[in-house]
Amino acid sequence: MSGQQRVSVPIVQNKDERTAFDEVFLPHLPEAYRLAQWLTGNSSDAEDIVQEAALRAFRGIKSFGAVNARAWSLTIVRNTAFSWLAKNKPKKVVYMNDLSAAEQQELEYEGAHGTRIETPEEIALIKADADEVQQALAKLPVQFREVIVLRELNQMNYRDIAEIINVPIGTVMSRLSRGRQLLTALLGDRK
Amino acid sequence: MIASLRDNDELQLNAYCDGELDPVSVGEFERRLASDGSLKARYDRLVSLRQAVRSVPQVEMPPGLQARILSRLDAERPSNVTVLRRRSWSSQALAAAAVFGAVISSSVMVTLDQYAQRENVASQVVAGHIRSLLAPQPFDIASSDRHTVKPWFTARLPESPQVPDLAAQGFTLLGGRVDVIGHDPVATIVYKHAAHTVSLTTLRPGQAVSEQTVAGYNVRSWSDANFTYVAVSDLPSADLATFERVFSAGPPAPEVK
Repeated sequence: MSGQQRVSVPIVQNKDERTAFDEVFLPHLPEAYRLAQWLTGNSSDAEDIVQEAALRAFRGIKSFGAVNARAWSLTIVRNTAFSWLAKNKPKKVVYMNDLSAAEQQELEYEGAHGTRIETPEEIALIKADADEVQQALAKLPVQFREVIVLRELNQMNYRDIAEIINVPIGTVMSRLSRGRQLLTALLGDRK
Repeated sequence: MIASLRDNDELQLNAYCDGELDPVSVGEFERRLASDGSLKARYDRLVSLRQAVRSVPQVEMPPGLQARILSRLDAERPSNVTVLRRRSWSSQALAAAAVFGAVISSSVMVTLDQYAQRENVASQVVAGHIRSLLAPQPFDIASSDRHTVKPWFTARLPESPQVPDLAAQGFTLLGGRVDVIGHDPVATIVYKHAAHTVSLTTLRPGQAVSEQTVAGYNVRSWSDANFTYVAVSDLPSADLATFERVFSAGPPAPEVK
């Protein structure tokens, strides 16, 4: 199934681009906006990004060959957001590929909860209100924030997340796990 | 207890929480969860974290954004005008062909050869239906969600039909498959009515076949501007007539826009 999805079929050859755009991209606009908002943390930036992404999707609609219109659409939004961030807020984006292997390892696997084993008594439930969660999410490095947002708020499965951010499923799993640990540490430290 | 804290645990815990573990691993993991207090505590914490994250209100899209995007796309269109014009002409021609199809078909223009070809279409459509019933399932994509089936067709075929779910009218959408009629891959939508499977094959317009019984299956065919539909089922022909009526009434508005 996932193998088939990568085959590009020129499916829209007999339709005009606008009809195809309306069917493929437009239904996902509200979700696209939410994702952009989470990635940039700012509503006017999110608006710019969604507009830019819509234009890219429209121009590239003939390349839509995937079965999954939602993943295809959100991939464009995500990539648009990342190039926007790289241009406008380069300090906020640290690309995993720019880090050394040791640093990547450190960021993805080690840390507060990875180095020490907690006893059951130490493990408390998270009690945080929406504002606190929002602030904690905003503090996460964007690589971790995006997998958590895609998983929890867009409710996408691992396969679709892997497709959207263009990494193997194993990496999605480790980033989700690590991102949740970081979030737990941020929310747990308030007390 | 500490020995059970393997590196893999954290990943398994997350995958379990996300419903991404395979059934065998779920069984194993649930047994461990029941006997391992530390693991259980971490699972509970993860669930509480998920609830906290999901409690964050979703931001709404600004009301004017969609309109702004669409008007920007309209500004993009001039470069495509010639292409669009040619296409809309050809779809008008198709519509005209469908409207006058019946008239033409009663005239001398239809040769016996063409007639034979059409009835051949009916038997090919029935063959597709029979083959599908022999397969483990009568569809290639299983879904009762028209938003899944329609894009699946769109990705494989140059023209794909609307895929209404008619469950409210007694015909539940099961999924879709691609049949090959002549040398053309075409979309077939599969419905369930009581214990009966209905295959609805969609052909280019103007290929309607007569109502008939082939190999014990009833065949009923009708056309609209975009497609000729051929329904095949072991349902009585009166029920197929009902099916035609509810399908044609279908969703009141187009799927998007």
